[in-house]
Amino acid sequence: MNEEVLSNKLSATERERIAHSSLRLWPVACVTAACAVLAGYLALVGSNAIYLGWSDALSFLPRTRLWVRFWLTVRTSALATCFSLLVGIPAGYALSRFRFPCRTLLATLIDLPVMVPAAAVGVFLFGVVKSFPVRQVTELLGVRFAHNANGIVLVQFAVTVAFCARLMKASFDAVNPRFEQVSRSLGASLPGTLLRVTFPLAKNGIVASAIVVWARAAAEWEGLMLFVGGTMAKTDVMPFSVYLDWNGGMMGWVVTFSLVCVALAVTSMAAARLIGGRSYVW
Amino acid sequence: MSGSFQRLFGKRAQAHLVIAAFYAVTVLLLIASCWLFVSNLDQLFAKAPAGTVAGMERWKSDGPSRAEFGGGFWRDPAFWRSVNLTVVTATATMLIAALIGIPAAYALSRYRIPGRAGVDVLLSSVIVLPSSSIGLCMVIMLQQSPLFGLQQATGIRLVYTLPGIVIVQLVLSLAMGMSAWKAAFDRVNPRFEHVARSLGSSAWRAFITVTLPAAKPGIIAGLIVAWVRAAAEFGGILLFCGTFAERPAGSFSPLTRLLGLQQADPLSVNMWAQIEYGNVEYGFAVGFTLVLISAVSVYTIHRLGGRTFVW
Repeated sequence: MNEEVLSNKLSATERERIAHSSLRLWPVACVTAACAVLAGYLALVGSNAIYLGWSDALSFLPRTRLWVRFWLTVRTSALATCFSLLVGIPAGYALSRFRFPCRTLLATLIDLPVMVPAAAVGVFLFGVVKSFPVRQVTELLGVRFAHNANGIVLVQFAVTVAFCARLMKASFDAVNPRFEQVSRSLGASLPGTLLRVTFPLAKNGIVASAIVVWARAAAEWEGLMLFVGGTMAKTDVMPFSVYLDWNGGMMGWVVTFSLVCVALAVTSMAAARLIGGRSYVW
Repeated sequence: MSGSFQRLFGKRAQAHLVIAAFYAVTVLLLIASCWLFVSNLDQLFAKAPAGTVAGMERWKSDGPSRAEFGGGFWRDPAFWRSVNLTVVTATATMLIAALIGIPAAYALSRYRIPGRAGVDVLLSSVIVLPSSSIGLCMVIMLQQSPLFGLQQATGIRLVYTLPGIVIVQLVLSLAMGMSAWKAAFDRVNPRFEHVARSLGSSAWRAFITVTLPAAKPGIIAGLIVAWVRAAAEFGGILLFCGTFAERPAGSFSPLTRLLGLQQADPLSVNMWAQIEYGNVEYGFAVGFTLVLISAVSVYTIHRLGGRTFVW
């Protein structure tokens, strides 16, 4: 009887196997879904490229109006990236190596600006700028944030700094702490170990993360809209010009700006991927 | 310089100094992160009594008054409709993203599809794409391509409608969700699945009984990432859907009104609109609601320990 049950079961699974292997439904469905996703994203970018057209692209691309905004974007986001790296590298190392109580809770607090909509971060910057330490320091230095490039850098920094710390944590996680322990046990000092062992090993990850942070800063718009405001040819970085010119109805310019943004995003992501293996936010 | 540094402090003191510096930067970042939100709490309290400026009509004079905490947001039915709309659209987006994204992520993780690296780059570049660009690309894809003819032929309209919110949220939420799901599948050893297949189970059964349970925390983390990204979407919705709050109630379908989604914007758009029109306390209250939603989801992701790969 036992054998009978066993053979029944076997034949059932066998039948199922044959039914499925002849159809191969699940692998086909998976690959179809992947192709659909790819087609969707390609259509998103491709339809815009077709809409703009080659001759229009050639006429818009050499104009100064584009390049003023392009270099403004590059400059401000490069500056914001520098500030983010100054905070992000030590913070990322600490998050990766040190153990402290309530890690999950504290990590959540640090990560909040990554997940809160950038528009909300821009709004919340009003309180920071108006309140105790920042206000006194900026008054002393004579820095103003409203309607100028300082404001752009501040918003980009606020949006990217936690993101940067997270990516740096991932870069340092990829370095085995044993190497550091060996270096320390052989008599090297901690700064020496960091400079000669940890940073060289994490170099690729750090450079790739810096590129991604730069791309994220260059893509910032919502926070700017509320905190800095749009002044034509002064505070309109490229994502912002997309919105301003959209409201102005200049479709050619809008699509050109938008496609340049897409090109920046894809190029920087491809560069990051080429330089350093993988990185994660959480 | 390093030598004099070493002479001044011993090796151990040096190490302590460096560690202390790293801790200090982290604590500074933590404090700044909290201060970003805490320093705005006073914006919730009304400072001046509500009054009308001569010659300036107050926006939505039948709406919330400025003279109380948070503009009295909890008594405003529009606020609750807005919360409802955010939850409903984000959940719908998450479900659609999971339906397409989980099989797609599985395929990208398991099968040798040609051009996988290109797909990865494309997906991760969506994360650093400006939201204004996403919104614009969506408008042009749906209004200026053969898809517009398809919409007219079927009578379905997507731009400036409530389903449009889901479509535009899907762009970013699918990309981020897929990176999390792909990482979750990458972490499951394909050998387990091969063993299940060699013991006679089908590819589907091996996926359902072996791979899916093993990848469960990462998959749930991906669902949360997809949900919270959808709930946080702002720029794309602004360009693709505009705002719904000022439209006449009659222009919404009976189903929309039954679900209580009429005349409401997603929370992020609502926050922007309130602040732009001078309802600052109300806008900050909506902003803090968003912060609360994000905080709960980020904490859950951390507890689950999912990984969202950027590239």
